[in-house]
Amino acid sequence: MSTTRRTVDTPPAPPSSWKEYVFAAVVVTAITTAGLLLPESYYVSVGLIYLLAIVLLCLRVGRGPVLMAGVLSAFVWEYIFIPPHFSFAINSLQDRLLFGTYFVVSLVAGQLTARIRAQAQNERLREQRATALFHLTRALAEAKTLDDAVFVALQQMDELFGAQTSLTLADENRTALIPHFASSYSLEGKERATADWVFRHQHNAGRFTDTPQASAGCYLPLVRENETIGVLGVKVPPDHTLTHAQQNLLEAFARQLALSVEREHLRAASEREKLLAESEKLHRALFDSVSHELRTPLAVINASADSLSGADANLRGQLVNEIRTAVRRLNRLVGNLLNQSRLESGTLKPRLDWCDAGDIVNAAVESTSDALAGHPLTIAMPEDMPPVWADFALTEHVLANLLLNAANHTPPATPIFLTTGLEPGGQRIFFAVADHGLGFSPAMRGRLFKKFIQDDATSTAGLGLGLAIVRGFTVAQGGEVVAGENPGGGAMITVYLPHPSPKAAVQA
Amino acid sequence: MTKSHPSRLLIVDDEVQIRRLLRVALETEAYEVHEAATGQLGLSEAAGVHPDGIVLDLGLPDLDGREVLRRLREWSQVPVLVLTVRDGEEDKIAALDAGADDYLTKPFSRRELLARLRAVLRRTQPSSEETIVRFSDVEIDFAARIVRRAGAEVKLTAKEYDLLRYLAQHRGRVVTHQQILRELWGANAEDSTHYLRVYMTHLRQKLEPEPRAPKFLQTESGVGYRLVES
Repeated sequence: MSTTRRTVDTPPAPPSSWKEYVFAAVVVTAITTAGLLLPESYYVSVGLIYLLAIVLLCLRVGRGPVLMAGVLSAFVWEYIFIPPHFSFAINSLQDRLLFGTYFVVSLVAGQLTARIRAQAQNERLREQRATALFHLTRALAEAKTLDDAVFVALQQMDELFGAQTSLTLADENRTALIPHFASSYSLEGKERATADWVFRHQHNAGRFTDTPQASAGCYLPLVRENETIGVLGVKVPPDHTLTHAQQNLLEAFARQLALSVEREHLRAASEREKLLAESEKLHRALFDSVSHELRTPLAVINASADSLSGADANLRGQLVNEIRTAVRRLNRLVGNLLNQSRLESGTLKPRLDWCDAGDIVNAAVESTSDALAGHPLTIAMPEDMPPVWADFALTEHVLANLLLNAANHTPPATPIFLTTGLEPGGQRIFFAVADHGLGFSPAMRGRLFKKFIQDDATSTAGLGLGLAIVRGFTVAQGGEVVAGENPGGGAMITVYLPHPSPKAAVQA
Repeated sequence: MTKSHPSRLLIVDDEVQIRRLLRVALETEAYEVHEAATGQLGLSEAAGVHPDGIVLDLGLPDLDGREVLRRLREWSQVPVLVLTVRDGEEDKIAALDAGADDYLTKPFSRRELLARLRAVLRRTQPSSEETIVRFSDVEIDFAARIVRRAGAEVKLTAKEYDLLRYLAQHRGRVVTHQQILRELWGANAEDSTHYLRVYMTHLRQKLEPEPRAPKFLQTESGVGYRLVES
């Protein structure tokens, strides 16, 4: 296996095919035959015709055939046409000069041709390289993720170099290499060792490089800002080789890939930072609102208890009511915090069963009656409402949170509507809670169902957990929540639950 | 409600404050109150004082409340009212399956506590062969299998009557869906809650003043039903 580096600055001209040699020989033969038909004294003209043919041949065939035609025609001309005929002897000095000049001109012509052809070839290679790089950069720019980019790049290299490629990227601590899934061969044994060496030394190694190793592939480091962020490997079949231009192209590819990888790293880092900032903000908001929400009812209870001694019967009744309301509020809050953690811990398993929709609505209204006080509530349910397939408790929490949400975010004494029924088509049950408040601002709508989100302008109560729980519990039951406009003005949130056909197990 | 003889109650709860509050609430109702702070103590106390009823907290430091129930049920049929902070209906159903007579979720009101206690205690009190149960303007005559509402007879199907009778026999106490289904449809019908819903709706329409907001035939969220007398 060759591991010597090839140093060819211009690529060799493409080897001429035997057809070109045959063609050149045929041309020489044709001119010779035609020349034989001419009078003997025309031998100088025949020489000029040979020369013309050589120059024209230059345009068609490569250096080898031209040289062959030049030498062949020179000797044929000298042997047949230059007096004395059919002899390699030349009598006159003029003829010797003629022959010498002819020989030199034909050789120079052949040489010039070769150079022109090589230049054209070079030009073509440059163009190929530019096109390849252009395709690569475009593919890298278009790729949405690093994986896409790497996949495209490696595929292109496979095709371009007729080789297998592998990419390994440094892990987060920059200590080890992790193979990328788009690699077309896996690094093992010597290949892996060479790649690791490249990673540590930030230097090319392997075949075609000045630090050959016992590996079949050639390995290039992906370097950004003096740090190796990965290693690109190319394995060419043993009987193939990479031209110098291809090696250059390979290096250019490695640079482009390094850029892409770095870009991805930077993007990920900024994403992490943003997330961190976000979660810190969330944490603060949670802290503030939890302490507010927990302390307010506690303060009410404390103050009421203090005032109880020495209060007359009337005041005592009021204070006891305050305490009761505060306790219910606290209890709901704790319930929602527990519900949220049930949702997040993933331990929530709905117990679906046939439930009476009216029962669920009643339970939800009952548990929120104190908070709803002052808001006239209209409940609409069809006479023939079928049993619904739901988890009673979860659905009750969903409706209670929707009612609380409506009550907390609308002006006092505005009406609230709870409508339930079977969707046209009978595929889904819906529960809609509508109000006459301000509705949702467009900015609000997108984050409505995220936890700890509050519309600051209207926030009066709650942790901002309500709608997150509504959605979590609904989705857990296979349903869907839609936030929209109340046709009469205000907000409307609709919860849809699937409505399977009742099991046919009639036993009554 | 007047009591012919005060009942002896055992409170098993690890929270001193809850025990104190329960004692105050129960002693004003002329119950004789004993306390235990752990499951083990509760079990030995139950064997020692032979209470007429036990109020058992499910979250005990030494033994799980359900384990206490299981051991208690090995030798005693004393009525047990379970206190729980857990909202999950699984826990309530599990406690009921383990032999509890009813449950109460913390925080609870005194009124609720006393009503539940009265109902669970009734299970072992010698009933004077009641043949008539009344709630609202409804009167159920077990002997004649007749249900009247405001004096007029109400037509019930056989299943509706069975359901009503079962609830009335356990009035004041929760009965789980499974208990009702087993009782009315037999052992293999535990999944046909759909029919149970339909019968309950019919019953409410026939007997409740406001069938949409039932006051007497109440639903226990995710657990079952309860017939409330007042």
